[in-house]
Amino acid sequence: MLKRLNESPRLDIFIAVIIAVVSATTAFAAWRASMVSSAAGDAIRQGLIDAVKKQTASSEDWRRTYEEAGHAQTYAVTLAQVEAFENSSDKAAQAQAKNMRQYLLPNLQLIVDLTKDDKYLKSDGTYDLDQRFADLEAEAPDLAGLSPEASFKLSDQYSSEQRWLTVGVVLLAISLFWLALSQLNTKRSRLATLAIGAGIYLIGLVWFGLVELIFLIVRGGAL
Amino acid sequence: MNETPVPETSERYKTLIVVLTMITTVITAIVATLQADANIRANTANRDSQYYAILASGELQRSGLQSSYDLNTFARVLLEQQTALMMQFTSLEMQQSNDKMGTALSNISALAAQARADKLASFSVFYTDPRYAPKTSDELPNADAYLADTSAKANEIVSKQNAAADDYHEWSSKADSYVGVLTVMAIAFFLFGLAQALTGRMRLVFAIFGAVILFVASGWAMLILIV
Repeated sequence: MLKRLNESPRLDIFIAVIIAVVSATTAFAAWRASMVSSAAGDAIRQGLIDAVKKQTASSEDWRRTYEEAGHAQTYAVTLAQVEAFENSSDKAAQAQAKNMRQYLLPNLQLIVDLTKDDKYLKSDGTYDLDQRFADLEAEAPDLAGLSPEASFKLSDQYSSEQRWLTVGVVLLAISLFWLALSQLNTKRSRLATLAIGAGIYLIGLVWFGLVELIFLIVRGGAL
Repeated sequence: MNETPVPETSERYKTLIVVLTMITTVITAIVATLQADANIRANTANRDSQYYAILASGELQRSGLQSSYDLNTFARVLLEQQTALMMQFTSLEMQQSNDKMGTALSNISALAAQARADKLASFSVFYTDPRYAPKTSDELPNADAYLADTSAKANEIVSKQNAAADDYHEWSSKADSYVGVLTVMAIAFFLFGLAQALTGRMRLVFAIFGAVILFVASGWAMLILIV
């Protein structure tokens, strides 16, 4: 009976249909693995773009902070000189101090944001540059809020999924090999190779579905 | 008396070839997975190396601005201190030559320079930070410690960047090598396919060739995995 089944043309057609189904599934799985790989690449690209934007904004904010710090220092030093003149007994120095306080200091203060707001003034008379930098960063929340790390985390998830999907694709490819072997075989081992091929295909299919499901949940439903 | 059945000539070694092909398939599957994994690791390391390069360039720019500000402040402190000293000398000279106007002008200049120097010193980490400030009035600030601290963060990021770049090269090289192994495996598949199609002695010859190639490719894959 087994011999008859082995040589049956219906089995030939059945195996051919299975091969067609497995081929289509393998092609779909390979496409999906490629899509996931592409998504990982996109996330890396987005993360790097965000990193460049964020770093450029941060560098510009530091440049502005130190530029303002230089101006604020000039103001503070000039003020110290004025105070020294005011406290001296020399009449010329006092007159000079009066004019400097009236005309020079207000003009110097015009160009310095650090000296306009008392929150930047520290108890020792210097300025809080870290606070100024934080405020400058807060002025552009869209740039400061960029998170390359979030994109990199997403790319890690996609890469991990790609890794496991590849295993699934390999299982499907192996099943295809065994099914092809069973199609070529006409002897008693035909049914055995068919069973092995079909078994590996089912394992590959379940594997693929599980990997997709797990990573879908991890990403909160995003493909 | 029962005799052991002798397989037909066309069937001889067929099972051996099927087993060898199956082994090749399994090894190929494993190598393909390892190749994909190595590729993913190379991509991740490449990404990290580029990210650290961006961070390092930003940190270098920030530390450059900071050290420029700090060193400029320090230079101005020295300038004003020396100006104050020179003006005091000048004042003494003017006093000795009974030049009252000159003495007064020199005193005002010395006072202004000293006031500026004192204020600037409060802005300078070389005078306010105990890590760099001179212990005695004769000593100079600890510039070496300052430079080491300023560049420490950038150096740390650069060393991470270097490590990531090394990882990238390592995994990329492994991924490329696995592609080589897969190519050799394809040759083994081809030889086993030929052996399956042929009969008699030629079948065995091609099966042996295929087995040798399979053995070499497997050894190569093991070597890549271990090293």
